[in-house]
Amino acid sequence: MKEKTFVIFRQKNPDAKPSYERFKVPLTPGMTVLEALFYIQDHFDHELAFRYSCRGAICGSCGLTINKFPQLACKTQVHPSEIKKHPRVPNLEFGDLKDWDQEKEILIEPLPNMSIIKDLVVDMEPFWKFYREVQPFFDREITDEAPESTQTFEDARRIEKLVYCILCGMCWTCPVSGKRKDYIGPSNLAKAFRFIDDTRVSEKHRKEIYEKAMQENGVPACEKIFACNSVCPKGVMPGTAIDKIRKLEKK
Amino acid sequence: MNIGRIDSLKVEEFDAIIVGGGLSGLRVAIELADTMNVAIISKVYPLRSHSGAAQGGINASLGNTEAGKKDSPKSHAYDTVYGSDYLADQDAVMFLAEEAPKIVIELESMGAPFSRLDSGLIAQRAFGGAGFPRTCYAGDRTGHALLHTVYEQCIRKGVKFFDEFFLVDLIKVGNNIAGLVSLDIASGELVVFRSESVVLATGGFGRIYKRSTNAIINTGDGLGAAYRAGIPMQDCEFVQFHPTTLYGTNILMTEGARGEGGFLFNKNNERFMSKVAPKAMELAPRDIVARAIDTEILEGRGFENSYVHLDLTHLGSEKIMERLPGIREISMYFAGVDPIEKPIPVQPGQHYSMGGIASKYKGDFGETPLEGLYSIGETSCISVHGANRLGGNSLLETIVFGRYVGRAILKKNKQKKLTASDVKKAESDVFKSIENLFSSWNENTGKKPVEIRTAMKNTMDVNVGVYREASRLKQAVKDLQQVQKDFEIMHIETQERKFNFGLIRALELRSMVDIAEVTAVAALWRKESRGAHFRTDYPTRDDKQFMVHSLVTREKDELVIETKPVTLGLFEVKERAY
Repeated sequence: MKEKTFVIFRQKNPDAKPSYERFKVPLTPGMTVLEALFYIQDHFDHELAFRYSCRGAICGSCGLTINKFPQLACKTQVHPSEIKKHPRVPNLEFGDLKDWDQEKEILIEPLPNMSIIKDLVVDMEPFWKFYREVQPFFDREITDEAPESTQTFEDARRIEKLVYCILCGMCWTCPVSGKRKDYIGPSNLAKAFRFIDDTRVSEKHRKEIYEKAMQENGVPACEKIFACNSVCPKGVMPGTAIDKIRKLEKK
Repeated sequence: MNIGRIDSLKVEEFDAIIVGGGLSGLRVAIELADTMNVAIISKVYPLRSHSGAAQGGINASLGNTEAGKKDSPKSHAYDTVYGSDYLADQDAVMFLAEEAPKIVIELESMGAPFSRLDSGLIAQRAFGGAGFPRTCYAGDRTGHALLHTVYEQCIRKGVKFFDEFFLVDLIKVGNNIAGLVSLDIASGELVVFRSESVVLATGGFGRIYKRSTNAIINTGDGLGAAYRAGIPMQDCEFVQFHPTTLYGTNILMTEGARGEGGFLFNKNNERFMSKVAPKAMELAPRDIVARAIDTEILEGRGFENSYVHLDLTHLGSEKIMERLPGIREISMYFAGVDPIEKPIPVQPGQHYSMGGIASKYKGDFGETPLEGLYSIGETSCISVHGANRLGGNSLLETIVFGRYVGRAILKKNKQKKLTASDVKKAESDVFKSIENLFSSWNENTGKKPVEIRTAMKNTMDVNVGVYREASRLKQAVKDLQQVQKDFEIMHIETQERKFNFGLIRALELRSMVDIAEVTAVAALWRKESRGAHFRTDYPTRDDKQFMVHSLVTREKDELVIETKPVTLGLFEVKERAY
């Protein structure tokens, strides 16, 4: 049976020293990295920690750094294993990694720029805190009285890409997220723009969200590196959304 | 055993506790948040819930399209009852259909990003088994759009969330719910949530099968906990197999793909649906299309003896990119097929559980036989889907019933009934039993969870699938009894508790082995074919004996099946043909 070796980042707790562990996983046709991780958990070490849910690239749970490039484990094929690179994506370092054979081994590390809780599980709380901070919701009175408010086909279509954001946190690959713990982050600014650009949002709330996004640790902190656009698994283009908020300022 | 920890047992107390952060649970929370101290506990971040994977849409007879002008709640209810093969309770269905337009408008007011018609109104598409185009949608990621919308409103209202807390067992005092014990996944500690109102909204249990569209987290945790507390499981033999799941991974390929005009072909290039549903063709209900596909494959007309083709190529790239972008993305990511150019390989796979925790329609909405315990959504069986659910009705159920379970809780007198000493004793008993369970798992020398889980899934796939018959179902029951025995002596180390997903998955398996057994036993008992339950040895519907809901409980070492009548009265019972 054909096998593949996985080199996996391990860290027992937030303060422990990280290490790398190798596991050989028998391949099945169409196997994804997520399936390989389950194989390891089922057969070798049930304590190997990683998050997961839908396995269909819609829930946003399983973002990991795979072969030094942030990706969703559920939609990344084990074979053929790809070494993705993009000039906008910075070099990502996690622990003291020696002798990784790029040709033969798949390297699995956590998401970048987040604190590690255990193995591949990172602390997402700062991410959710900034999400809540932009007040990403409608503030209209909730009503069930017909008819619904209208919106043109084009206006609805325009925010579609932003709506598709799965909040996986992969865009925290952004070097600004790396150096500033208070940076609101690309996805959350994109979320702000999803509401700013929705024609149904009240002027008052649009302004509130805009002001949140324009805080010093928001849009102005963005350095237009666009690593976020390069790693986004859903084509949300957070960097482009940030740029659009910035242009609103000039208007 | 770690009894010493009882004194330091963490207790959280709320007016109401909701287990599950999908659409059902979130919608209940919105109803309660203004006036009650309420918390949601969820084993994943709420936005990771399986509601987000729903694609096609949510049904409501808004009549926004030209072709839908004459639609009405009554037509919606009729289609639902007819589609259910007359096992749905007709009063509950009528209520669901009447509330549907209101609830969709309410979702829009919360900001739901529905796709729009040229008129600016919410767009609606055709769906299986529906007389009019009544399925409102947001592209082909409707569940994702709605889940985010309702979660956003919970953020607006400041709902309290306990993310990554796993429901282990319910706590009851007499016939009243008193709360639950959860495992805080991050700290590994057992935490009591004390409340006399508990809502189970933990989704379905599709992962008892191998070939399933369901998220890996759909393991019936709420059902398992209720079953262990002695509450009956209703209609679990009715398992929906979605006709079109992607060959290989079984990821859902929405019915909307056929609603938008997609065709199904066998390897001889025949649109085989003409043989079984000459009028409805590809838009016959799911049970019928799933059987038609399985028949093609079984009789040698499938590709590689495993799948048929879902062909969208004639729709053109513009329509596919606009209406079905998610389907295109999934096909390309997971099967390397661009549906603009090539047909998608599909096969039936487990998709939805029509059955669930027996819950009331009349009286306290959604309440189970255990006072103060409610269930809702795929977890529950209030019976609006009967023997076969129509596409677009499950998102609807979560939101409509979420609202009304919330209202039922509000209506109830908040006065506490239970004495503090009784509650503490019950908490301590459940805590001890869980610590004992963990100790025994640690000390056991039996099989690993993976072996037991695999055996369960294999027998469910092979013996309790689309086509069923006595000998296979008996085999399944036998296999599952062995699975239960193996589970009794299962070994897993339980010392290290922090983010121990192996332990979480063992707890999930604990519920699944029970629900799988219930499903197989009920399927063997029901000697007729109705909706999604097709017995080759009893190929017709038998209204005389079996127009009843099944209710399964465990008593000592055997499962007991009781029945209750179906609520009829609005629509005449007929033969079903499309």
